[in-house]
Amino acid sequence: MSSFISESVVPLRLPYDHKPLSEQFQVKWTPTLITLDADGKEHHRTVGFLPPEELIPSLLLGRAKLDFDLDNFESSIKILEKIVSDHSKSDSAPEAIYLLGVSRYKSTHEAKPLKDAYEKLQAEYPDSEWTKRAYPYRLL
Amino acid sequence: MGNSIKWETELNAALARAKSEQKPVLMDFFNPG
Repeated sequence: MSSFISESVVPLRLPYDHKPLSEQFQVKWTPTLITLDADGKEHHRTVGFLPPEELIPSLLLGRAKLDFDLDNFESSIKILEKIVSDHSKSDSAPEAIYLLGVSRYKSTHEAKPLKDAYEKLQAEYPDSEWTKRAYPYRLL
Repeated sequence: MGNSIKWETELNAALARAKSEQKPVLMDFFNPG
């Protein structure tokens, strides 16, 4: 876990009452983990303890969302595919499938990846909120 | 999280490292108890 964090992110630890950052980022509970880009913009946040099997895919999801937000779809797709293949039982997996469909759509402008994402979510994670969010894509 | 992680303690230093190492910053607000 430690090596994964050291290799994949720049770790910054701050007390929950840090001034002014706690207020600036509206931190209300600990632990709060926030993924920032190099300009300090937030892309992903989790609140509450995560066991290692959830923390690693969550950190990967944060990196993928950062790349997605910056239109780096090739990179976001690679990371999301890794979450789906290596961390399929994690809580991050359904969101990764959803975002993978959107990333592929954004990079190809073809609707099929959106429908594929819905069908995978419906088959493997029928109770996920991300399956509900992908519901309209069944018609594509 | 593990104590072997070398944590930054200043945002600006972390952002500078993020730029040079092309990595995200993971900002962890914790309760030192």
